[in-house]
Amino acid sequence: MTMKLAEALKVVQSVPSHALPLQVALLCGFTPLHLETFLRAHLCKLFPGRSPNVQTGLYGDLIGNLHRVAGISAAAVVIEWPDLDPRLGLRRLGGWEPSQLQDILSEVNRSCDLLQSSVAALARNTPLVVCFPTLPLVPVSFSPLARASEFTLELRSRIASLSAALSHLSGVRIVDPQRLDALSSSRRLDVNSDLSAGFPYTLSHASALAEVLAGLVLNPQPKKGLITDLDDTLWRGILGEVGVKGISWDLDNHSQIHALYQQLLHSLAASGTLIAVASKNDRSLVEEAFAARDPILREADIFPFEVHWGAKSESVARILGAWNISAEDVVCVDDSPMDLAEIKAAHPGAECVLFPRENPQAAYDLLERLRDWFGKDKISQEDGLRAASLRANAELQHDIKQESPGAVGDFFRQIDGKLTLSSQKQPLDSRSLELVNKTNQFNLNGRRFQEAEWQNWLNAPDAVFVAVSYRDKYGPLGKIAVIAGDLLNVSVNGVNTDSSGKRRLRIRTWVMSCRAFSRLIEYECVRWLFAKLDVEELEFDFLPTARNTPMQNFLQQVRNAPPKPHCRLSRAQFLQSCPTSSHVVEESPNG
Amino acid sequence: MAEIESRLINCFATAFPELDPQEIPSVSMGSLASWDSLAGITLLSLIEEEFSISISPDDAASLVSFELILHYLQKDNLRVSPEDSK
Repeated sequence: MTMKLAEALKVVQSVPSHALPLQVALLCGFTPLHLETFLRAHLCKLFPGRSPNVQTGLYGDLIGNLHRVAGISAAAVVIEWPDLDPRLGLRRLGGWEPSQLQDILSEVNRSCDLLQSSVAALARNTPLVVCFPTLPLVPVSFSPLARASEFTLELRSRIASLSAALSHLSGVRIVDPQRLDALSSSRRLDVNSDLSAGFPYTLSHASALAEVLAGLVLNPQPKKGLITDLDDTLWRGILGEVGVKGISWDLDNHSQIHALYQQLLHSLAASGTLIAVASKNDRSLVEEAFAARDPILREADIFPFEVHWGAKSESVARILGAWNISAEDVVCVDDSPMDLAEIKAAHPGAECVLFPRENPQAAYDLLERLRDWFGKDKISQEDGLRAASLRANAELQHDIKQESPGAVGDFFRQIDGKLTLSSQKQPLDSRSLELVNKTNQFNLNGRRFQEAEWQNWLNAPDAVFVAVSYRDKYGPLGKIAVIAGDLLNVSVNGVNTDSSGKRRLRIRTWVMSCRAFSRLIEYECVRWLFAKLDVEELEFDFLPTARNTPMQNFLQQVRNAPPKPHCRLSRAQFLQSCPTSSHVVEESPNG
Repeated sequence: MAEIESRLINCFATAFPELDPQEIPSVSMGSLASWDSLAGITLLSLIEEEFSISISPDDAASLVSFELILHYLQKDNLRVSPEDSK
């Protein structure tokens, strides 16, 4: 159900005047009119507490608009046929004679080349969403409408090539026509509106397109973990009743939808999504089923297994603890409405969805929703390590517990921990920004950044950026921490010093993945900052948040005082409180 | 008829949120500074959406006050738009 114009205007008008602005551009060659209103409204809904300000450009000058735009966090570029050749629109009369078709194709080629270079130039500093023509082609070709002519096929082929070429650029996201088709199935072209106002879309199409653009333009963070039931969800059948041989996920037993569900979960696991099982079942039977029946979703994809006869909400609590994430970041899938209600009551933030075992169509719709919840721009190296490192972390915690308190330092020296630090700022490292925007617990202040804002800050000459990767005998954790700040107070001779003549680093962002806790990595980072940057003092842009207790505890411990905004730590103070170095530290020239 | 007037007042209130509801029945393009061409297009789009009608460009040019629009709607113009007839 698309949003109505009246609703969109009310949403936009209800934004509080003190809300933090969100600068977004809508770049198109037509009058943006209601598309701008709908885009603002959908952004308001997606980002409550922000006040979206949508910059637009000049009518009929898409390329010029791409070159003029500035000072924005992200942009949506909406291309329609007249932007490629005005003869493909309704407001210009260049002719539709058969003899002109070749010339139109040549003009479209030139426009595509220009668009490619202009979009690539803007994408270097600004995240972009690009939407290729969504309207039906005007009746320019001599063929009957049902027949795809050589002309229209070549035209669409050129658009497809441009679309594929732009999709390779970092920071560019292309609107998928299939998604738009699902949301905007009625008439799209409004001839009256195009001729009278230069706005070519029906209200329903403008609303659907704006919804898709808003969802992509600032890239909301995906969910982190999925907790699945087993019986009549991961497979068909009740394991305790039909036995290991009686469960199924195949066409013959009319249970193929469970196979597709497993296939999707296996794909999500390979893309870095955490998968756990919460099932009321006999543990030994489940182990036998995974060993004997070889499901598509492998045992190695799953951590942890919570299989017992206790309450599902308790299983979910233990899984969240093992993953060290909050209920808001997970989706629970189960065929039992009662179990889902029990989970929801204990974990209101969790997304609890029913697996519709009797309705393959509804189950397929669920697969699409899951893909959307967990969809991400690209797969990083860390995505492939996440589940394994959580499993290894559990092993590490177990081993630490076996050590006597005094021997923990020796223990850390035995695990062969190695930190690799990189201070390379370019090109934009999406994993670092993802860490900054996803980490809640070891987080200096909870501050989040848009891509353009982050890149612009790091481009400043005094900005300091450090990305930290880690591995030990339990396996690699990948990139697990990011520190960014500014060297302060430039003196006359160009050396950054504070008023006492000593260099000081103001840390504005510091995050560390919860997978890296309990390894004293935070101390190694501070030790490296003092040594490498030759600073005498660190200043922390600390702010307490609802969830950054681990950061608060660290600052309390290292400073021997409660943390407060702009608190400082001197080199001498640190050396008094820090544990002996336990890890090998090396620097990497690469991100 | 009263229902049409009430729905039309809602459309005006959405298009011109700064207006006092009591002022709405007497407003016109000439008396309301914020009623420029773009606001006029938004207002007519809201009316088309609310009443499921399609206003022709010729008619749109003459709809420059609340009173004229109300009269237009009351004069059997609540025909079905092409989009809704599908």
